[in-house]
Amino acid sequence: MLFIMPVVLIVISSLMQEFGWSSLTKDPTVQVLFVDNDHDSLSLKIKSGFRESQSFEVIDRLNNNLLTDSTAKNAVKRGEYLVAIVVPKGATSTMRANVRLSVAKTLAGFGIGNPGLVNGIVFKDSVDVKIYFDPTVKKTFKNALISSIRENYYKFQTDWVFKTFNQEIALQMPMYKAPKDAFKEILHFKEEYPSYREVELIPNTSQHNVPAWTIFAMFFIVIPLTQSMIQEREGGSLFRLLTMPVSYMTLLMGKVGVYLVVCMMQTAAMLLAGILLLPLFGLPMLVLGNDILALFVMSMVVSMAAVGYGLMIGTIAKTHQQAAAFGSISVIILAAVGGLWVPIYLMAPFMRTIANLSPLNWAITGYYSIFLRGGNLIVIVPQAIKLLLFFLTTVSITALYYKYKSPLNN
Amino acid sequence: MSRKPIIEIRELTKIYTGAEEPAVNSISLEIFPGEIFGLLGPNGAGKTTTISILCGLFPATSGNVTIDGLDSQTDMVKIKQVIGVVPQDIALYPTLSGRENLTFFGNMYGLHGSALRDKIDHYLTEFGLEKHAGKAVGKYSGGMKRRVNLIAGLLHDPKIIFLDEPTVGIDVQSRVVILEYLMEINKKGVTIIYTSHYMEEAEQLCSRVAIIDRGNIIALGNPKELVAEQPRFQNLENVFIHLTGKDMRD
Repeated sequence: MLFIMPVVLIVISSLMQEFGWSSLTKDPTVQVLFVDNDHDSLSLKIKSGFRESQSFEVIDRLNNNLLTDSTAKNAVKRGEYLVAIVVPKGATSTMRANVRLSVAKTLAGFGIGNPGLVNGIVFKDSVDVKIYFDPTVKKTFKNALISSIRENYYKFQTDWVFKTFNQEIALQMPMYKAPKDAFKEILHFKEEYPSYREVELIPNTSQHNVPAWTIFAMFFIVIPLTQSMIQEREGGSLFRLLTMPVSYMTLLMGKVGVYLVVCMMQTAAMLLAGILLLPLFGLPMLVLGNDILALFVMSMVVSMAAVGYGLMIGTIAKTHQQAAAFGSISVIILAAVGGLWVPIYLMAPFMRTIANLSPLNWAITGYYSIFLRGGNLIVIVPQAIKLLLFFLTTVSITALYYKYKSPLNN
Repeated sequence: MSRKPIIEIRELTKIYTGAEEPAVNSISLEIFPGEIFGLLGPNGAGKTTTISILCGLFPATSGNVTIDGLDSQTDMVKIKQVIGVVPQDIALYPTLSGRENLTFFGNMYGLHGSALRDKIDHYLTEFGLEKHAGKAVGKYSGGMKRRVNLIAGLLHDPKIIFLDEPTVGIDVQSRVVILEYLMEINKKGVTIIYTSHYMEEAEQLCSRVAIIDRGNIIALGNPKELVAEQPRFQNLENVFIHLTGKDMRD
């Protein structure tokens, strides 16, 4: 179970994230209800923008009936669809009128046209494009959708401003000939991922997920370790061991050795799953970093930190229930705080400070340096030292607790 | 019997953290090589605490203990090499087989390879467990577990064996096998320190007994002599009840 369950966890979480990722990038799996009351250029531009993005499937009919504001709203209310967009009647004409007035006012500033007349005209009230969201929709999805609408709107408006300028100038100055290539998009966005590796690796779900869930599984060694320690204590085996010619520290180190081997085997199983198993599910293959030694060292110090933490809880906890509850919940908290689930850069400033105190954060930072940035042994030294110190601290607390507080020794 | 004690206890006291009364209250005792010495007492009298200190499980609050000429405060690791401990609870791993348990504990005493295998085979045969050696200890009967529990304390041929209630809760056959074996190894010179609630068993087995109550030794001597000192009592159990009272203990 220690090996199978983490592998299952990696596959499922990667599939889920890949699905989520794809829905915003490749496959049009998110259905958007589209109510077109405008029936003009703007609504057509927004609709075609959605289709071209390949992120959304636009639906304008339900049961062969054209959608209306209320049918779309009810469909979202019932939870049948995540989102509905209503472009109001006259949206395009309002935009055009306002653009035309804006251009005329600008030209009037140069004395072109009829300044006296245009300066007295006021802009039409703006129109609202309504978007109904299902309450379960996440903020990131909302932002992506609204950005997509805004992008299409601004493109359309910019295009319309140019056209109107040309038309107005041509009207006022008959000798003016509008150029055929007056406008060209200036900015192109090119993604690059600076890393230590020579061949650039584009981050993907496997590169993100495998290290994160591997760390999570490694720290869950706390559960079997604490259960074994308490069982030993309650069953009397520890009593016998303590009467044997070995020190308590030797016994502890014996346990550390055994569980380190288990942790390292677990890590190897999860990395192999990333390389061999994930591609079978259509997921990207995990690419190990440039430096296998760095990966080994990082895995070793993370394992040591996890085992040290387990030893400490196993010694201090009085019952199986105490150890299981505290052990599992504390690992989940450390994982959440440490940025395994939500990236640290998305956290509030004070949470970012707290995140830096989580050993799981040191672990994920080290692993990301190897897996995503192609870092070597030198790059991971700060995280490795922190994890090593965490291990030494937890083992020291364990030994001191045994010496001064444990009922077995007092 | 040599007059030089193999175990010397001088004014041994143990007060547990937070306790008002000492669990062991300044007891002094000498146990000689080759003795079967019984520590008898009602529940909570201080027997297990005394044995735990002698085995190095935890330190005494005050007092001195010397075992086989070694000071327990400075030479506990060496002392642990010459003593064997059979705890009251079944101190075995239930998911491991009898043989695996014995191999693990043998390894902890520094025994390895064929020497350990031969010893384990010998003891498993001696205690009638050879057919069950591969079965998980968790599936053993109470008597079988007690026998494996005993073997685990004998594997390294200790000079002194501490047995805490070794026959509690088992069938008559297992009890007889265990007691006969203890007498057999005692004849070979092994010193046995033994606690029990079974007065009849102690009377038969022990060369001397100490009756402890509320952390104090209230009687010490040969069981027959202790009975003889109280003419109105016919056996050790009567003497024990007389000395410790009829009040039930927690």
